[in-house]
Formats: sequence, structure tokens, C-alpha cells
Amino acid sequence: MRLDKKAQQEIVGFVLIVVLVMVVMMVFLIISVRDSGEEVLSTGVSNMLDVLMKTTTECAIVYEPDYDDFEDLVKSCYKEDDCSNLDMSACDYLNESLREVVSAMVLSDAAVLGWNVDFSEREGAGILRWSEGNCTSGISGAQRSIVSGGDSLVVRMRIC
Amino acid sequence: MKIMQMSFMIIGVFLFFALAGLFFLNISLKGIQSGASDLAREQAISSLGIIAAIPELNYDARASMTVDEDKLRIMSGGFGATYGEFWPIASLEVYKVYPAFDEVVKCPASDCNYYDVYDSGQTNVEKFSSYVSICKRVREFGSVYDRCSIGKLVAGVKKYEE
Repeated sequence: MRLDKKAQQEIVGFVLIVVLVMVVMMVFLIISVRDSGEEVLSTGVSNMLDVLMKTTTECAIVYEPDYDDFEDLVKSCYKEDDCSNLDMSACDYLNESLREVVSAMVLSDAAVLGWNVDFSEREGAGILRWSEGNCTSGISGAQRSIVSGGDSLVVRMRIC
Repeated sequence: MKIMQMSFMIIGVFLFFALAGLFFLNISLKGIQSGASDLAREQAISSLGIIAAIPELNYDARASMTVDEDKLRIMSGGFGATYGEFWPIASLEVYKVYPAFDEVVKCPASDCNYYDVYDSGQTNVEKFSSYVSICKRVREFGSVYDRCSIGKLVAGVKKYEE
């Protein structure tokens, strides 16, 4: 009878050890798997943003063929200029064309689930924002500063 | 008998902790592996920047990741192959991403969108890609200007078996 009780105690001890280790493992697993959702600076996204900003658009503010690239178009939009050759404002054209270009870029990359680009004053409200898909985790990003007149503008890109 | 029971117990506990340890190790190494692959990708993009900057492809020496469309046209017209051993890679291709296209048209041809600059013919090649600006000098309305579109530079690197 005493021997049985001792065996029971040993089994209970062993089960306690197993349960304890399981709990520690679960906590460790949850911490490892959980994504903080923080944005990580990425060379790839930075390169993508650089190339995007250098792309020539169809919008000429003063005369044809002095077409803006996207960097100049952001400045023109901030200054509320118009595209003289397209009969529309620079902001309207930027709003229309940037989504099309980024979508084409993202389409060539199967690993991208979503993206967003925003353009704002450095210390002010956002001016334009584009997004597609849902970015909640695994976010890589980059940003560029653009100086227009005396003001500093920021273009941010996030890819997930 | 008691010694046998105890030794069984010790072996059981030891095996259990060994398995738990392996599980921990596997989870920890997973993070290291993904970190290593991220670093490899970043390094590949930097290497592609060096390839895009060579005078045979580069458009403007002051701008990074910018290739000249006219140079690409010449290199893809059979000239790239004459460089042979010059290329530090197994293959080099460039294709246009924007303006978007429906079907691949190999250059040199009108309205082409795919430049096969160099192909060593090697098999077991791993490919790395990065976005580049494809620029050319265009004459329009009596003026000359630089028109840049978006492309992807794809370099193949021979994979070595471990």
C-alpha cells in the first residue's frame, strides 16, 4: 500500500514537471510567433521608392516636353500647380497615376500582400494617401524627404 | 527493482527535457534563419546596384540604379555575350515593369519590354532582382529630355551545392 502511494507521488511529480515545461513552452511559442507589427526599414523598399520618384510622368507644368517626374509632381501638387498639357491639377494627376504605377510594381512581386504610400508635410497633416491590401504585420518601409520652397515634405512607403 | 524504476524515471525525464530543448532551439533558429535570408536579400540588392552602375549599363553616373535603355538595346542584341567572362554572374536580364505590358516582347524589337543581356547557359542558378530606372534621351516637340520608366534587373548567380 505504501509502495503504491510512493508510485502515485512520483507520477504526480512527473506530470507536474511535464505541465510546467509545457506552460513555459507555450509562453515562449506565443512570444516567438507574435509579430510586433513594427515597421522595419528596408533597402528593397527604399530602392523601390527611389525608382518610383525618378519615373517620368505625363504631366508638364510649364511646357511640353518638360514633364515632371514623381518627385517634381509631389512638389507641384504641394504648390497646387496644374498640368498644362492635361487640363487637370497636379494633385489629381498624382492621385490617379501613383496608384497605377505602384500597383504595376507590386504586381511584379508575388510576395507583396499590401502597400501604402503617403505624402505629407514633415510636421503637419497628410496631403495624399494611397493604399491597397491589408498591412498588419511584416511591414517594411522607407521614406524620402523632398524640399519644396522652404517647406519639407515626406513621402513614406510601406510594403507588407 | 527500485534502482531500475529510478533509472527509467531519470531516462524519461532526460528524454522529455531533450525534446523540449530541441523544440526551443528550433523556434530560436527560425528567427536566425529568416534574419539571414533578409540579410542575403539586402546584400543581393546592393550587389545589383554595383551591376547597374557599370559604365556598360549606367545612364547617369550620379544616379544609382539607373540604366540606359539604348545601352541595354545594344547589349541585348548579342553584344552582351561577347563580354563573356567579364560578367561576375551567370545571367543578366532586364524587363520593364511600368508602363505595364500584356505579353513579353524580347528586344531588340519595336515596343519590346524584355532585355536578355547575358546568359552563360549555366543551370542551377539562383535569381535576384531589384527595381531600376530605365532611362533614355527622347526628342519631342523640338526639345530633348530624359524619360525614365520602371524596370526590374534580374541577375542569376550560380548556386553551389554544400
